[in-house]
Amino acid sequence: MSVLNFLADGFSSALQWHNLLFAFIGVLIGTAVGVLPGIGPMSGVALLIPVTATMTGGQDPASAATSAIILLAGVYYGAMYGGSTTSILLNTPGESSSVVTTLDGYQMARQGRAGAALSISAIGSFAAGIFSLLALVLLAEPLSNLAIKFGPAEYFSLMLLGLAAVSGLAGKSMTKALIMTVMGLLLATIGMDNVSGVARFTYDFPILYGGLEFLTIAVGLFALGEVFKTIINREYQAGEIAKVGRVLPTRQDLKASAGPIARGSVLGFFIGVLPGAGATLASFFSYIIEKKISKNPAKFGKGAIEGVAAPESANNAASGGAMVPLLTLGIPGSGTTAILMGALIMYNVQPGPLLFADHPEVAWGLIASMFIGNLMLLILNMPLVKVFAKIIETPPRYLLPIIIAISVFGVYAVQYTTFDLLLLIGCGIAGYFLTKNDYPLAPLVLGLVLGPMIENNMRRALTGSNGDFSVFLAKPLSAAFLLVAVLWLVVPLLLKMRGKKVLVNEEA
Amino acid sequence: MRKVNKAYDRYASAVFLLIGVSFVWESRKISESSYGSNVGPDIFPMGLGIIMILLSIRLFYEVMKTKTSASEEKSNPDYKRFLLILVASLIYAYFLEDIGYVIGTFLFLLFSFQVIERGKWLVSLIVSAVFSYGVYYLFVKILEGSLPGFPSWMNLG
Repeated sequence: MSVLNFLADGFSSALQWHNLLFAFIGVLIGTAVGVLPGIGPMSGVALLIPVTATMTGGQDPASAATSAIILLAGVYYGAMYGGSTTSILLNTPGESSSVVTTLDGYQMARQGRAGAALSISAIGSFAAGIFSLLALVLLAEPLSNLAIKFGPAEYFSLMLLGLAAVSGLAGKSMTKALIMTVMGLLLATIGMDNVSGVARFTYDFPILYGGLEFLTIAVGLFALGEVFKTIINREYQAGEIAKVGRVLPTRQDLKASAGPIARGSVLGFFIGVLPGAGATLASFFSYIIEKKISKNPAKFGKGAIEGVAAPESANNAASGGAMVPLLTLGIPGSGTTAILMGALIMYNVQPGPLLFADHPEVAWGLIASMFIGNLMLLILNMPLVKVFAKIIETPPRYLLPIIIAISVFGVYAVQYTTFDLLLLIGCGIAGYFLTKNDYPLAPLVLGLVLGPMIENNMRRALTGSNGDFSVFLAKPLSAAFLLVAVLWLVVPLLLKMRGKKVLVNEEA
Repeated sequence: MRKVNKAYDRYASAVFLLIGVSFVWESRKISESSYGSNVGPDIFPMGLGIIMILLSIRLFYEVMKTKTSASEEKSNPDYKRFLLILVASLIYAYFLEDIGYVIGTFLFLLFSFQVIERGKWLVSLIVSAVFSYGVYYLFVKILEGSLPGFPSWMNLG
């Protein structure tokens, strides 16, 4: 019954008034991030890291980490709720995991059923959120107990598997994704080597000894890159917004959506657990499945409520599922979870099997806060959905420069150097040009976060084996991870060669 | 997104090749072994550099293989506004410590608001002023963070 005890402790920590406040701020900003088209969950979380760092400055390290991660995770799943709003009202997805919601959501809005679509997606997200949390609670202990037995060789192979999965599914060209992964790993080697203390690639610039700051690069690539893209493509002219109308769904709507919500939750959770396959893929798959099993597939695309309920449940369940490998194994499966992991490391909290042993208050506090946060989101998104619909009308002329200003403030407030500000802007330019030419950014950030850990585990394993690389194949579990990693890269390649279309994850 | 930019990918593969080569080259200068272990700090970056070289060659090969897609030009990109805001951000970032956060942010925001859309000076002035002083006040006075608020010669803190 220790799980229940831990969960109870988690609730007592999550229910402290300041943590309630942090969760509330998180989900509120998350919803706004989801609603605003120019800014996705990745840049939203990255932008808020420095803000939370200052907000939690007065607390002791462990509870500061708890509060910070509660807020940041709130932004992550809050964005999944908010993303549907623009899809339905504006036919423009607020973030990539809500792309399929536009198909039926916007049609419903045109038929005057926008309110029902919005509330069904909130209800579906809530049900899915609670389901994936329960699954997370059940899986957390056994998985971390298993992972705690891993040695450095197993860890090295598992992290390679994570990288391979993300590179295999990210973007249109696997070569480009792999290049970005290696680039992230290479950037991570700059600075003081933390095994031997040798300075690498620093060329006597004192500023480089600490390495390139993860935060600066993530905010630059995602937040500034997005702003530059919006400016260059003149994407800031607002379209026509549909009226919300009656918010509560009818009994018939609820009945039609129950099945899709349940299926979307289960499917979304398991897709979310897989590294590399995130919320976007989950929403696509659940939509396709609903269409396949429907008695009347012709109504999809013409305002079927099932076509809103299923993908919106799936993307929220996937964001819960993505927390499983992050918290129990320390392997982020997507760009956003990589950023969450970077944030935890900034607080000296290492996600992974030891998290539940060393910092149970962080892990369980976060899980408990997600229950509360989902409840807050349900309340926020049902009666207040009309207020959020107003956010869409925020003039981008004010929004875009303010995002730049927040990025500059955030980076400076944590790093205190002009060098980081210039690096930030440089990364923004790089981010724009890389995404424009189909170089996915998520693998780079993942490489940057995992780089030092991969290297440490590799060197520890090799030191143990006297430099013999076969140690990674000699251990059965490690060999299995490597095999899966290779398959993950090779199978899509083979499918492509045989002319099959491979579903890829754009950004998640 | 829509059309494959061959020229960009060609240059990119050259740049990545260069990055790979220089990481391999430079990691040879890192002192080899540290504490009797035969896996020193040089192995990881060197291995990655080699992988990078292989990947960039593969990228170059892929680019050569793809046929030039019909060049359907998209609506003209707005580089003028982008460059104006980029230069403004660089100046803002570079002089932030000298000019102070409040004045720097105020000027940057006012300028950028006007770049994106001319007019509505009063709203621009108010939003810039409220944001720059508001963030400073929240961060320095309430959260007790440290930020160079004003130039040091103004003696305002």
